[in-house]
Amino acid sequence: MKWKLALAAMLLPLAAPAQPNFAGKTITIIVGYKPGGGYDATARLLARHLPDHVPGKPTVIVQNMPGGNSIIAANHMYNVAKPDGLTIGTFNRNLPIAQLTKVQGVKYDMLKFAWIGSAANETTILAIRNDLPYKTFEDLRKAKEPVVIGSTGPGANTYDFPLLLKDLVGLNFKIVSGYSSSADIMLAVERKEADGRAGSLSSLRPFIDRGLVHPVIRARSTEPGLEKLPVDESFAPNPRAKAIMALRSAPEQVARPYVMPPSTPADIVKVMRKAFADVIADPAAQAEAKKAKMDFDFTDGDEALKIMKEVLNQPKDIVDEFSKYVKFGE
Amino acid sequence: MLDAFVQGLLLILQWKAFAFMLAGIFVGFWVGLLPGLGGATTLALMLPFIYNMEPVEAFAFLLGMHSVVATTGDVTSILFGVPGEATTAAIILDGHAMAKKGEAGRALGAALASSLVGALIGAAALALAIPIVRPLVLTFGSPELFMLAIVGLAFIASLSAQGARGMVRGFLAGGLGLFLAMVGQDPQAGVARYTLDTLYLWQGLDLVPVLVGLFAIPEIIDLVVRGTSIAGNAPAGRINRGALEGVKDVFRNFWLTIRCALIGTFIGITPGLGGAVAQWMAYGHATQSARTPEERKGFGQGDVRGVVGPGAACNSKEGGALIPTIAFGVPGSTSMAILLGGFFLLGLVPGPDMLTKHLPVTFSLVWTIVLANIITVAACFLLLNRLTALTAVQGHLLVPVVLVLVFIGSYTSNSSYADIIVTIVFGAVGYFMVLAGWPRAPLVLGLVLGKIAENYLYISVARYDFAWLMRPVVVVLLILAVGVIFYPAVQAWRSRKPA
Amino acid sequence: MTNRASLGLAVAIMALAAWGIYSALDWPLKSKLFPLVICVPLFCLAGAELLWVVLGKGAARAASDFKLSAEHAPEVARRRTLLAAGWTVGFFALILLVGFPIAVPVMVFAYLKVQGREGWIFSAIFTAAVWLFFYGLFELLLHLHFPDGWLFGGFGGF
Repeated sequence: MKWKLALAAMLLPLAAPAQPNFAGKTITIIVGYKPGGGYDATARLLARHLPDHVPGKPTVIVQNMPGGNSIIAANHMYNVAKPDGLTIGTFNRNLPIAQLTKVQGVKYDMLKFAWIGSAANETTILAIRNDLPYKTFEDLRKAKEPVVIGSTGPGANTYDFPLLLKDLVGLNFKIVSGYSSSADIMLAVERKEADGRAGSLSSLRPFIDRGLVHPVIRARSTEPGLEKLPVDESFAPNPRAKAIMALRSAPEQVARPYVMPPSTPADIVKVMRKAFADVIADPAAQAEAKKAKMDFDFTDGDEALKIMKEVLNQPKDIVDEFSKYVKFGE
Repeated sequence: MLDAFVQGLLLILQWKAFAFMLAGIFVGFWVGLLPGLGGATTLALMLPFIYNMEPVEAFAFLLGMHSVVATTGDVTSILFGVPGEATTAAIILDGHAMAKKGEAGRALGAALASSLVGALIGAAALALAIPIVRPLVLTFGSPELFMLAIVGLAFIASLSAQGARGMVRGFLAGGLGLFLAMVGQDPQAGVARYTLDTLYLWQGLDLVPVLVGLFAIPEIIDLVVRGTSIAGNAPAGRINRGALEGVKDVFRNFWLTIRCALIGTFIGITPGLGGAVAQWMAYGHATQSARTPEERKGFGQGDVRGVVGPGAACNSKEGGALIPTIAFGVPGSTSMAILLGGFFLLGLVPGPDMLTKHLPVTFSLVWTIVLANIITVAACFLLLNRLTALTAVQGHLLVPVVLVLVFIGSYTSNSSYADIIVTIVFGAVGYFMVLAGWPRAPLVLGLVLGKIAENYLYISVARYDFAWLMRPVVVVLLILAVGVIFYPAVQAWRSRKPA
Repeated sequence: MTNRASLGLAVAIMALAAWGIYSALDWPLKSKLFPLVICVPLFCLAGAELLWVVLGKGAARAASDFKLSAEHAPEVARRRTLLAAGWTVGFFALILLVGFPIAVPVMVFAYLKVQGREGWIFSAIFTAAVWLFFYGLFELLLHLHFPDGWLFGGFGGF
């Protein structure tokens, strides 16, 4: 009897699958944007701290692959990158919308990626200049003069968020687009050329803290301190409008998506998810993120995939209506 | 304020900060020199290293690196005719022409000296502007920026050859540039314009591959055709002796240098125009200083003023570009955006605080620019002989190396082979333009300013209907634009009068 | 030669401008305004240049840009130009097929041997130096990744 046990004990290591180990390897994070932007900064922060949390302590580097609003990077991750755990990709959070609205050139399927998760949630808010008489959303609704909202262009939350408020809720907005970046819009706000802008809380925070603007309304996902702010969907005049607003906001819960190529082995994905969760919980990484005023929270891949499914399974009439307002862009 | 001024200097002279500045200068030296490395990308790569540094040290490093890129970029442009950076392409026209005549030393001397003067003026502007910077930047709204773009486009007239036919060709090149600027998704309705159904062109044509193709490829072809070294048959001794001559040239044309430095600073201060414009406007202005049509024809063949102007403007705009970045948190270029990231990382909030509470840090930035430029220029002068000796090396040794750097330079901006195709296509375009006698500078100007002009026009009209045409600064700029367009005609008419 | 090149460019620009106008007609007003404002004059100017060349009126004064060197006979110049173009395009094809890390030393070595007619040893050393610099700087120091060539299964890079 004992020899059977001994034999089993000897054979056990051979039967159990080996834990994926990345010793001596290099992991590449492909970023669908040029260096200097928010996606790139998050990726570089992760690249700095990941080696300590991945078995084998591999080298982690960042490669920028901008183009086509990061559709090129997503296509590369889906069709070209090998599913061996050595390539991770991050790209525009609105890519599921691009897939949904059948943008030309999309060669990926969000549902088939091996999802690691999201490294942040974004909260989109609309902020109005402090010296204007509009202190709350109700004030804004009653505005007699058109409120000038600066934006970069269709597809960016600077444009889409106020657009839906204007067209669906009926607010008296004049949306002026063409600014080269959201920072330029803030300069326009200071010059009183624009009265406010929409955007992510993290990018607006320095200006809120400085006393230039204050938030009046937010999208669905929230952050500590903003819970009391009214939500855009609550003003939707009918269920269809509400669905459209919800559809616009949905990707914001997966604000910094991280994926691996389809068919990546499940054990590698599991190791990566745990590594990401650990990095994001790491106090040193959190401290850096805070200093850089970056949003840094982990949403697990399964949760992210659920949200993707929600977005991609919308009924056709909603998608058609949505496409009339929101175009895929920046 | 004088207090902070001195404090700023002392901050940068601490040995640790100084050492980091030297390290930054060393990195920046190579980044500017090699066409394959972009200033912005490298800044992003350097960002991780500053995490454990104090603010002053970190900025000494980053800014030390960033300040010298324009200077060494000029070196590559002059010696090889390949733009070392997107911002140093204009200097190729006359600088490389001088190198081909065997005057590389003189060209380098002029470029280095004018770079230093430009940097000093830019830094001085940064320091002096601090009290008035906020109202200054706030005066320039979208209508003013649109008019500035028009002024920039007006320089197409100066960059063209004289005579009606020359003007037509110049505006053809400019128009082509404007057309190319329209490629991409438009910010008004999201239509994908002229993208040939490719994803690559969605965000428009990238400037670096176009510049590299337009300027470097024809030079490479010409080098192969000539079959000699860059300096041709010029006697070796003459090549490097000219450096002092070049420095003297800067002082002989002192007011031109100052004016071009001011142009550069001004372009730097106005966020939204982009850094590539300054050098071309300075070059256009330099050509305006030709007193006769014969002198005017000399530009493009090796007139030292075509080196002095862009050299000064490129470096002065760096000091200018820091102003909106520091005072408003609005970066004027990609490099500034990354620098801004550095600010946040170190806990500094750009805005009024930088001009009051943290004034010594701001001044230490000014001093960093000054010291970094002085050190780099000194180092380049010491290396001048070695650098100019490269123009005596046989062409067939240089061609493969330059070709490699050109291709890598195009590829690494977007990690895409499509950029190399763009470089080759524009290489052909550049070659045929040179063959046909068409000027290339207006094309670059149109490409760089096209989108800016369009966007700011729409913003102005959407916001102010047509009332913006009455704003004082707009009117002044309109008159300036008209003046710039008609200047060459006035010049030609004046030179026809008997002396 | 100058005139023929100018003619070619003028025709090309006319075609481009015409295509520009044609594509823009379907767009919403705001998207098509600037393209039309640019393309219509562009078409006319190109037409003017075309007429100028065809009617042979007067030599245009030189552009403020460099002139291609005229040191050699046109035949020699043309041959060498085609050669240079060939090397450039060939290098690109090589990069596509085998990837940057292999294409670079191959091209450098080939150019030195064939065009430069340098000796074997010198070519080898020079190639090694260039490759070392390229590899050291871009791959090791900067971790810039170059895709594998098409022959090796990599289809990325676009």
